[in-house]
Amino acid sequence: MTYNIEVAHPDPATSRSAYRAHAREWLRANLPSSMRADSVDYKTPSLNECRDWEEAMYRAGLAGMTWPKEYGGYGLTLREHLAVNKEIGALMMPESVGSVGKELAGPIIMAVGTEEQKQEFLPKILAMKNYWCQGFSEPEAGSDLVRLRTRAVEENGNWRINGQKIWTSGAMKADYCLLLTRTGTVADKHKGLLMFAVPMNTHGIRVVPIKSIDGKESFAEVFFDDVVVPDSARLGKPDEGWSAAIRVLSIERATNRMYRPWRFEAELKMLVAAFKSDPELAKLLEDGYYQRRIGQIATEIDGLKGLIEQAVDQMAGGAPIGARGSLNKLFWSETHQAFATFAYEMVSQIKPTASAEALRAKKHFTTAYLFARAESIYAGVSEVQLDIIAQRILNLPKDL
Amino acid sequence: MSDDSLRPEDFAEAAGAAITDAEGKSFAEKTAVLAENGLFGVIVAEEQGGLGLDLSFGIPIVAVAGKLQLRYPLVEQMLVASALAGEDIGAAIVGGEKTAAIAWQGSLEEGYATHATFVADADYVLVASGEGAALLDRASGEVQEDPSLDPDYPQYTLKLEGAATVATLSAEAFAKLKFKAKVLYGAFAAGAGEGAMDRAASHMAGRVQFGRPLSAKQAVRHTMARMKLLTETSYAGLQRAIAQDEFGAARDVDTAFAGAIGNSCFIIEKAIHLHGGMGFTWELPLHCSLRDVRKIDAAFNTGGVVKSIGKAFIAAA
Repeated sequence: MTYNIEVAHPDPATSRSAYRAHAREWLRANLPSSMRADSVDYKTPSLNECRDWEEAMYRAGLAGMTWPKEYGGYGLTLREHLAVNKEIGALMMPESVGSVGKELAGPIIMAVGTEEQKQEFLPKILAMKNYWCQGFSEPEAGSDLVRLRTRAVEENGNWRINGQKIWTSGAMKADYCLLLTRTGTVADKHKGLLMFAVPMNTHGIRVVPIKSIDGKESFAEVFFDDVVVPDSARLGKPDEGWSAAIRVLSIERATNRMYRPWRFEAELKMLVAAFKSDPELAKLLEDGYYQRRIGQIATEIDGLKGLIEQAVDQMAGGAPIGARGSLNKLFWSETHQAFATFAYEMVSQIKPTASAEALRAKKHFTTAYLFARAESIYAGVSEVQLDIIAQRILNLPKDL
Repeated sequence: MSDDSLRPEDFAEAAGAAITDAEGKSFAEKTAVLAENGLFGVIVAEEQGGLGLDLSFGIPIVAVAGKLQLRYPLVEQMLVASALAGEDIGAAIVGGEKTAAIAWQGSLEEGYATHATFVADADYVLVASGEGAALLDRASGEVQEDPSLDPDYPQYTLKLEGAATVATLSAEAFAKLKFKAKVLYGAFAAGAGEGAMDRAASHMAGRVQFGRPLSAKQAVRHTMARMKLLTETSYAGLQRAIAQDEFGAARDVDTAFAGAIGNSCFIIEKAIHLHGGMGFTWELPLHCSLRDVRKIDAAFNTGGVVKSIGKAFIAAA
């Protein structure tokens, strides 16, 4: 697939709509219908197809907007990032396969990496030259990361790593792992946590895929048995990397994949359009029950748009985002779970004789319903988000 | 006003002081206090006697009124003053010499209007007429009280036969008024919910059971967190609704309004629940907020608004 990447990037200073208009025009002109989940031509894209698409988006000025120019970014602001994300959301394009690099590893490297590490990793992340996976969770340390046990011991200028990670998304395809380890013992809790950029082809790393509820093998267990990496793989000093990660995570929780409400809206349009395409199914849309449920979902989607735009306004104004990212995470995950459940309720009524659009929707939303079960779990389970809101935003006391 | 350094939250603070000052006073005294502080003319142009601010200032001001449980037709005064700006009646409302209520259902042509509050004390009542609206002399129509939801501040039904029209609004002006009404009532409801949430948080932090404050209980903390999430969502949605998108297009207000009303009902009902038996009593004023928000809910038929959002979405998809 070839894309038109020889395209002028607009100067956002010329008008408020310039960047969004550019994103809209380019994405609509270039996204193949075979990669649109709402198209009857849709075919699950391969990893290479996804990589080529994301690289083209980057070349067209639609990724790395806020990253500094010296590291391959475009040196723009969160407002352009949001404008582009609105248009990314409006099309049913594949989820990013480079998101761990772009939204997690990249910002952390920018915060604590050496100049050499920044030059080495950042441009390649944007250009989709390497994939990253996130090695944080362990069998006994999910939401409670202070219990993590994977150990890094310094030996003659190198680090010897032993331990196990789990729920590691994209580990099978990753070139690097953003690995969280500890230099001491579990009793040290938050002290001594240390991050690395570990090449996944290092001797001693073993990846065991895990089959998930949707039948895919999108995450894995990763075993580190006497894995030795040079000191140059270390990201920051002990403690420094983790505290930077916490900072970055709180920002990312508020800003990553900020296209979500616009994507949910596109999904809702896909669902409705599929039913409208079939005369028998279209009758259901005249039922007040379905009209009201669709209205409620549209209302929640607009509420989520409000939360995201407000977060961008606050950050653009220099205000710290703090714990407010938890509000966004909780709201999007529960909104989409409820929507996916409703969508499944609708598509489960589609018969084999229905229109091609309806059959395509049935396939999409059945998978979406199953995958949505993960949404209140990953990136911080809902209960943790509720605790953060109660503790850090409402300041509710736990003791007298 | 052209001073860009003015911030809505500063105005809300000043409005809060005026509303607190009006607390416990008679209807006429409240009118005088609120007029003196310029609250009726917040969204009226300066050359027409107002403060010349936009709805982004109106939202936090009205939200404070909801939070402080102001039981007065502040939103109605602001709306009618704005719709009739430049006319004598509009000026009289801005100045507090006259007061107006709004009946949100029924019409002049149907001969009756319903879902109005504060009618007994108001000089005028705005009712729908054709595609637009008519401002009626309240004394010229027959008024019937419906105290079933709120005996202290009841809803009213008006029989409009022979009612005297003192001013009219075009279809366009009435549509603008209804847009602003949904923004401001949504903000009032969000404020009422926030006030209830704050009361619940304070009670949960101070009420001890089994040796620990109730706020230590995870179920309580999580319920409170959901209340906070919905409060923030309401405010963010309303502010978004009044802002243009990147292409300069105006947005619809219905989703923000319906969200704010639904969220507020959830929050106030949960606040009542969290107060236990005390929440069910007349003594604790949470019921006042619930009644006020439910009156708005009924006046605009929020369930019907949600359904119409769905129908519009289906039509456009």
